[in-house]
Amino acid sequence: MIEVKGLEYAYPGAARKTLHGLDFHIGRGEIFGFLGPSGSGKSTTQKILIGVLKGYAGSVQVLGQELRRISPDYYERIGVGFEFPNFYAKFTVMENLNLFRSLYSVPTEDPGRLLERVGLGDAVNFKVSQLSKGMKMRLNFCRAILHRPQVLFLDEPTSGLDPVNARLMKDLILEMKAQGTTVLITTHHMQAAEELCDRVAFIVDGQIKLIDSPRQLMLRQGSKTVRVEYRKGEELAAEEFALDGIGGNAAFLQLINRYPVETMHSQEATLEQIFMDTTGRSLT
Amino acid sequence: MRAMNALIYDIRFQFRHGFYAVYVLVSALYVLLLYYVSPDYKERTALLLTFSDPGAIGLILAGGIVLLEKDQGVHDSLFVTPLRLHEYLLAKALSIAAISTVSAWGIQVCAIGLPAAPVPFTLGVLLTSALFTLLSIGIVARARSINGFIWLSQLYSLPLAVPLLGLFQIGPSSLYRIFPTQGSLVLLGAAHEQVMIEEYLYALVVLSMGVAAAYGWAYRSFERRVLARIGKGADLT
Repeated sequence: MIEVKGLEYAYPGAARKTLHGLDFHIGRGEIFGFLGPSGSGKSTTQKILIGVLKGYAGSVQVLGQELRRISPDYYERIGVGFEFPNFYAKFTVMENLNLFRSLYSVPTEDPGRLLERVGLGDAVNFKVSQLSKGMKMRLNFCRAILHRPQVLFLDEPTSGLDPVNARLMKDLILEMKAQGTTVLITTHHMQAAEELCDRVAFIVDGQIKLIDSPRQLMLRQGSKTVRVEYRKGEELAAEEFALDGIGGNAAFLQLINRYPVETMHSQEATLEQIFMDTTGRSLT
Repeated sequence: MRAMNALIYDIRFQFRHGFYAVYVLVSALYVLLLYYVSPDYKERTALLLTFSDPGAIGLILAGGIVLLEKDQGVHDSLFVTPLRLHEYLLAKALSIAAISTVSAWGIQVCAIGLPAAPVPFTLGVLLTSALFTLLSIGIVARARSINGFIWLSQLYSLPLAVPLLGLFQIGPSSLYRIFPTQGSLVLLGAAHEQVMIEEYLYALVVLSMGVAAAYGWAYRSFERRVLARIGKGADLT
């Protein structure tokens, strides 16, 4: 679906390159996360992938097309949801979707059905200027998938959403994946990446430092122990036990039988910690 | 079909932002003004008004529309659809030319009467409006604020007003013939006086060349200064 080889890019007039030879591929139906702090080059990479920046070196192929040669017909096949959900403020929610829908020649979704799906069924006739940021984000998602794109690019898709709507958005993204859509997410929210992405790439200073699945990273770089917090009289105590052979670990079994356990967690690494260990940088 | 849809939504956008209501009011004021102008000066005043307002309305209107679009950040969403830049520019030029034509005919018919040569008059309004609309889009692509746009629009449009001096017999009239707006004055003047066919042709050619140049400039400016910034959100300070 997406094949990138030796991608380099320098903005016109800039003395230094922003991207220094990126290589990666993303398969059909995969959710791929680009993680990095501001200024790392992830937005530049996304702009190249959506066809906005064309003066790059190397090769960037999406859906079999080299992007420096694409026409606007490319947008019949990809969907883009930017971090800032911008619409015609004096048009209603439905007018906005109908406007964008009218610009495609491929079959499109029924806007009413999409709005119902994202919980905006009652806001169809609201002017966009009346919507909250969270409602605009959901509308933004509807706009991006109106034409049933094969590849979907989402920039900070859960930004500005409350936990309920963030969950809804994640479910919708997973639904798109289940339908075979390839999704590329650009974010610095590790939790969303952990939950959604099949693979993530850490990008810093225009270079990819690591690509792997979040689960594998968290397991491999974490400690294979379980930490138990328990109540010992008035005192809150904690102990760690190796996960290997824990079912036959007498000390562990004795502890959980003898004391009231308050929490018990395996000690895999967090994606944020792995990012810092790998890149030496924080995500903010 | 896509260009037609872009045109329909542009008209709806202008209507929703109250541009048409304001323009009906402005046109009515012009008719009232012409009612009180002495018959000796009425036709020349009407020509000036038609040139500077229905004709050049695109300068303010297109700038205002694109500034509103920048403020609302809609270019980000619009140009990640199959919409072509030439369709976007065409929709702007045609939607504004339609207001110009209705307004120019309204002022002409209400204040003076039917134009002597309706076709050249209408072509004059349409092409002059398109010229200023495209010029305005080229300017607004460079502007980062409303004040910046107002300042730049005066600067860039001033040369196009030079042929107006010829209406008052000021300066060498032959020099004005290289300006596209001299073609506007010839075509708009056809509302009130007989014009030779050669003169019509000259006016159409020089004005069309001006429109083509303004289109190329607007296209390049928009491509380099607006489309290259896609993804950065609303862009107005």
